[in-house]
Amino acid sequence: MNSSIRKLFYVTVALFAGLMGMLVYLQMVDAKDLADNPHNTRKVYEQMRIQRGLILASDKTVLAQNQKQDNLYYRTYPQGDFAAQLIGYSDPTYGQTGLEHSMNDYLTGTADEVELTNFVDTLLGREQRGADVKLTIDPKVQSTAAAELDKLGKRGSVVVLDVHTGAVLAMVSSPTFDLNNFQANWQQLNSDPDAPLLNRATQGLYTPGSSFKLITTAAALESGQFTPDSKFRDDKGSIEINGNVIHNWTDVPFGEHNFAEAFSESINTTFAQVGEQLGQSKLEEYQQKFGLYQKPPLELPPDEIAASGRYVNGQLASPGDSMDPVQVAWMAIGQENVQVTPLQMAMIAQAIGNGGKEMKPYAVDSVMDYNGTVIKQASPEMWKQPIRADTAATMTQMMIKVVNEGTGLGAKTAKVQIAGKTGTAEVGGNKGPNAWFVGFAPANNPQVAIAVVVEDADERGHDSSPIARDTLLAALGLPPGQ
Amino acid sequence: MERRRELVNFIPVAMLTLIGFATVYAARSAQIDSSSLSYGLLFVGLFLAVHLLMRMAAPHADPYLLPITALLSAMGIMMIYRIDPALAAAQTRWLMAGLALFAAIVIFLRDYRKLDDYIYLLGIVGVLLLAVTIVAGKEVNGARLWMGIGGLSIQPGEFSKVLITIFLAGYLHSKRELLSTTTWHLFGLPMPALKHLGPLVTMWGMSFALLLLMNDLGTSLLFFGIFLAMTYVATGRMTYPVIGGVLFSGGAVLAYLVKATVHTRVDIWINPWIEFDGRGYQLVQSLFAIGDGGLFGTGLGKGYLLFPSGQTIIPALPTDFIFSAIAEELGLAGATALIVLYLLFCYRGFKIAVAADDGFSKLLAAGIAASFALQTFVIIGGVIKLIPLTGITLPFVSYGGSSIVANFGALALLLLISNRTNAGRVG
Repeated sequence: MNSSIRKLFYVTVALFAGLMGMLVYLQMVDAKDLADNPHNTRKVYEQMRIQRGLILASDKTVLAQNQKQDNLYYRTYPQGDFAAQLIGYSDPTYGQTGLEHSMNDYLTGTADEVELTNFVDTLLGREQRGADVKLTIDPKVQSTAAAELDKLGKRGSVVVLDVHTGAVLAMVSSPTFDLNNFQANWQQLNSDPDAPLLNRATQGLYTPGSSFKLITTAAALESGQFTPDSKFRDDKGSIEINGNVIHNWTDVPFGEHNFAEAFSESINTTFAQVGEQLGQSKLEEYQQKFGLYQKPPLELPPDEIAASGRYVNGQLASPGDSMDPVQVAWMAIGQENVQVTPLQMAMIAQAIGNGGKEMKPYAVDSVMDYNGTVIKQASPEMWKQPIRADTAATMTQMMIKVVNEGTGLGAKTAKVQIAGKTGTAEVGGNKGPNAWFVGFAPANNPQVAIAVVVEDADERGHDSSPIARDTLLAALGLPPGQ
Repeated sequence: MERRRELVNFIPVAMLTLIGFATVYAARSAQIDSSSLSYGLLFVGLFLAVHLLMRMAAPHADPYLLPITALLSAMGIMMIYRIDPALAAAQTRWLMAGLALFAAIVIFLRDYRKLDDYIYLLGIVGVLLLAVTIVAGKEVNGARLWMGIGGLSIQPGEFSKVLITIFLAGYLHSKRELLSTTTWHLFGLPMPALKHLGPLVTMWGMSFALLLLMNDLGTSLLFFGIFLAMTYVATGRMTYPVIGGVLFSGGAVLAYLVKATVHTRVDIWINPWIEFDGRGYQLVQSLFAIGDGGLFGTGLGKGYLLFPSGQTIIPALPTDFIFSAIAEELGLAGATALIVLYLLFCYRGFKIAVAADDGFSKLLAAGIAASFALQTFVIIGGVIKLIPLTGITLPFVSYGGSSIVANFGALALLLLISNRTNAGRVG
């Protein structure tokens, strides 16, 4: 029997070794992921003993504050569903998202810059308080954009950036949700096919359609092979590349035209040819120059920001992955699995409006301790310089033409000259297309850039231009309308 | 000799215990009063008393098991005290009851081999205890394990476990010749005559009935595991573990298909995250707590175990999930030390079995050691998501009167077996 008993002991050793192995994995390897798990509310509870800092809009409208209950501070959001996905929530059960998550160290006063004040406070026996976070969001612009989307009753997103600084003036994702009572509707919010919890502005991947022609045009102009006056001819309304037919939006032949007209009328046949001539590497080079294939450096948690670019089977492809000429031609007109976020498109408009300098987008203007002392102030920083200033100027002229006499007529207003580019991207199924407007204003002295996308838009894709117009007007302090 | 060694072993245990209670007091002085220190002293006093008893009643018994058990119990009471001081008071009373049973067995059952004459009676009592629970027990968390008697809640399964181990030791001891005689082969495995397979099939049936009627995979697995281990020791044949394993796997698969509770447990084991605020909550919170512990833990009393209301974040923290609390506050270092303590406990248990000079003693010691090993593995494995979770207690550490008392009974038997063997050697 003794040998069996010994073997039994060896089995015990093996089983216990398994326990220890799993413990090492949990406590050494997986520990950080467990701590960062959004459902891990341990830290949230602990931090609820600290009076969390306020979140303020650019005009100091209070967006997030505290309510004390049983010695714990609970978060309330006076503006309800205003910029809900950007602000995010901080809840003991559901964890933290948005800026509530990424700015947590400041809001709880555990960031290095606030630590000293807190240490002194502890010594003096004062209650510990977090620092206030002031955003760049302009409530006027944010509300206008949100109201415009609501009026239409469609899903979509609007991002407005300051052309010179990259500050986010508005970030709307519709449908939205009320930060004050999402807990009660958790199941429903999660199963809602319209995904109200998703921040469409930074995570929504949309086919850009013709709005992608901004990138194709930038590449075309800088290649030296094309100018706005380059001549093209379209007799059939469609073009055949390697046996595949690419149609114009309405199949109408445009006859003889130049590149600027092809841009303002969004002629697919011409852009397919341009794309074919430029080739895959040139197109991809300019996508990368504008920041595609990487996550824009906004202050949100990284998992709430998606990189734009070509997606194959749900995975971001790498530039240089092999494509055939038809795919390249499709890419030039914003199809072929290219997926972009509204934030990325707004950044492209911002770069063109800013003489080719693409700024780092930011939504946090400043952080102040409770004495009002500014402990961190955003300083605008250039992120990339995708195009030359003269290319930006040429493109601005082409974009003015789009609004004044091309596909972007819906954005035309007598109050200010708007420059832009539209896009109507087929999404398949029996859904309407995604309608884009990407642009800036005033065209001769750009101040604000915008990207608007409306899902399931009307067939001609005219839903987005008026939203862009009125939102840009609001950002410039002008009344809405033509 | 053995007792002097035991006393020496008690010294670090006593120091650790006192330091532990002092740490809890220091960390939570705002919430609790200084009585934690008297707990430490009471605890040390109790085990010194048991040591003195051993000097008189079983001087040659193994000198390591009691100090190991004392340390395990101390860790348990310390953690329970840190979670809920009132519960620790109850646990201390249970500990005293356990030590009383321990003393009674050591004093009155010195010739434990007399038990061999009553194995059928003990076996029947063991089965009856389970049957009563099934009929009259109350359901907690979907499993029917508890009985209310007077104001007390007891888990008859814990006593039944020890009684059935004794029964199996006696039964297998008398039948081992028959069970290890090969009369035919099945897929190359040597098989005894079919009629001798009866008990194996009965035991399988009983385990499976337990599973279906009590809704509890853990108890079922524990009983069947003990049975397989003891049959293997008795016969030295892999036939039993192999066939038993196949039978049990079949039963488990069937249970997964037909029993909702089993199905849930397995689904949550595979992916607790999708139901983090529902059925997966307990396990997810356990993993968060363990992850929080890191290498050295948050420190005793400094972990995040309670809501501000005083409720535990992990449901069933002082009972099934006490290991998670230990892993959080004492870290990988402390949790590993605890597992090593159990390993040492089992090692001493198996060693006693090897050294014992009669079949009944060998089987009984091996069965007890195997039951501790399996129970520890099943509950720790469950709370760390190594295997599907089943609610059983962590021996000597979890809060729970039945568990403490029954386990001290089993410990007394192990010590008596070693006392007899060593006395024979000395004499």
